[in-house]
Amino acid sequence: MNLTSEEVNDIALESRLLLTEEELAGAVRYINSFLDALQCFKELDLKDVEPFSFAEAIECPLREDKVIPFHDTDMIIHESEHVDGSYFRVPRIMEE
Amino acid sequence: MELYELNLWMLMEGLKAGKFSASEIFTSCKKRIDQCEESIHALITRTDDTPQSAKDGSLSGIPTIIKDNLCTKGIRTTAASRILGNWRPPYDATAWARLRDAGCVLMGKANMDEFAMGNTCGNSAFGPTRNPNDTSLVPGGSSGGSAAAVSAGYVPFSLGSDTGGSIRQPASYCGVYGLKPTYGMVSRYGLISYGSSLDQIGPFARTVRDLQIVMSVISGHDKMDSSSFRDKPHDFTHNENVSIKGKKIAVVKEFQGFTLDAPIAEAMDRVKKVLADEGAIITEVSLPVVSKYAVACYYALAMSEAHTNLERYDGVRLGYTVKDARGIKEMFERVRSYGFGAEVKARIIAGTCLTEPTRCEEYYVAATKVRTLIAQEFARAFGETDYILQPVTPSMPGKVGEKDDDAMKGYEADLYTLPVNLAGLPGLSFFTGYAGSLPVGLQLIGRRWSDSELLDAGIILERHLGSPRIANGGDVV
Repeated sequence: MNLTSEEVNDIALESRLLLTEEELAGAVRYINSFLDALQCFKELDLKDVEPFSFAEAIECPLREDKVIPFHDTDMIIHESEHVDGSYFRVPRIMEE
Repeated sequence: MELYELNLWMLMEGLKAGKFSASEIFTSCKKRIDQCEESIHALITRTDDTPQSAKDGSLSGIPTIIKDNLCTKGIRTTAASRILGNWRPPYDATAWARLRDAGCVLMGKANMDEFAMGNTCGNSAFGPTRNPNDTSLVPGGSSGGSAAAVSAGYVPFSLGSDTGGSIRQPASYCGVYGLKPTYGMVSRYGLISYGSSLDQIGPFARTVRDLQIVMSVISGHDKMDSSSFRDKPHDFTHNENVSIKGKKIAVVKEFQGFTLDAPIAEAMDRVKKVLADEGAIITEVSLPVVSKYAVACYYALAMSEAHTNLERYDGVRLGYTVKDARGIKEMFERVRSYGFGAEVKARIIAGTCLTEPTRCEEYYVAATKVRTLIAQEFARAFGETDYILQPVTPSMPGKVGEKDDDAMKGYEADLYTLPVNLAGLPGLSFFTGYAGSLPVGLQLIGRRWSDSELLDAGIILERHLGSPRIANGGDVV
């Protein structure tokens, strides 16, 4: 099942990517070739196979619920390019 | 002999014996970088650490270089992408912090494929790195800058990361040793994520003994990385009196029909003989699922993980942004469309496609199940053998700038490396000799947590096959 240019463009927009015409043509070829390659999974009987989670059991990493003071705030502010006084200045994300 | 030509363990012994100073090592390495960097372009950023500012520790005054996807406090970290702009992390990656605390001097941040996506070191927003053995050729990737820097003698060792072969393949192309440790052996804290269930940090060096020294510093549990394990063996003490007698070393039955470039096929035969002469038993294991499905499985998972990991680059919190966008959607779109390179965009789109609710079961979930079969197949194989010997790549390095129109064909070249990441195994890329002026590497794979035994086997191989020489560094200016 090949994806059309329109479908690939919709997926790109979902990923917040604007593609040029040339990029879109390349992406369509790439995705369809990739999806073709994945058809090989159908040759395997995966019905009773558990999805892989980790190579071996790992303990759930719970930590004590404790505040650890952080004193290096000046350094963090100093390293950022987007600073206004002692605040980070970030682009507006709330729209009117 | 210049000091930059000395291996790590030689530098440590020389420093201890007072034969030379850390400042002299630093000056020699700096001069070597000045000589070669214009031809090789292994670095994105040169740093201004000095031996005088180094801490006291086991590696005090030893220069190093780390891949530019490892966070360095206050030092620009780009992952070779425009989208991170001049981002300076407010913290260090644990692997680097351990080296810094051991006294290492950071000489620079190494070039790489953008977000570690690629196997040529040509997908970098900062331009390609070139192979120090022949500057018309690629150094491999994604950790191409780290491998090239060690090969050319910039530093005695470096760090890279390996998601599907990104340490082992450039190590092989550049003629150095590279270890992809067991997943969980080295903390990933501060490593800019690509495929989090596959990524692992590891070292490059010009001797196996040097890899042991670096692993003894960077391995072990870290409370900042929940996937790093407690209570696992990480004793990398060097011992010359190691033996491989009676150990089983297998080749993969299904790989035997695949075509290899002549120098690689010849190296396989030579190394099998060396191991047999050392008393190892050369055998065969069968990995039918790995050989047929690993490439598709790997790329389905890597792209899906990449798509989620790279969602965070939105122009708000990190690096590059635009100030004149009309609304948040336009800002996201403009930042991401300009910030990411072509390969990264393609993988994000593929990952988005595979994880959409209508396709998730058919592709992403299926791939996680295939991964289970692959891990089981390796577990069975390691019930029959101690190590697996195989190529790193089927072919020798290609020309800088050459591109294959069929991306899947390029991905298939990763068949020998990426299954190791899917199963979380350790893999050692080792030097076997030269074909003309080009080094030829092969790969030895062990069971999980056998990293120290794997390096012991590497010591034996190096004893018989010899160590690589410093690459000529291209047209040295």
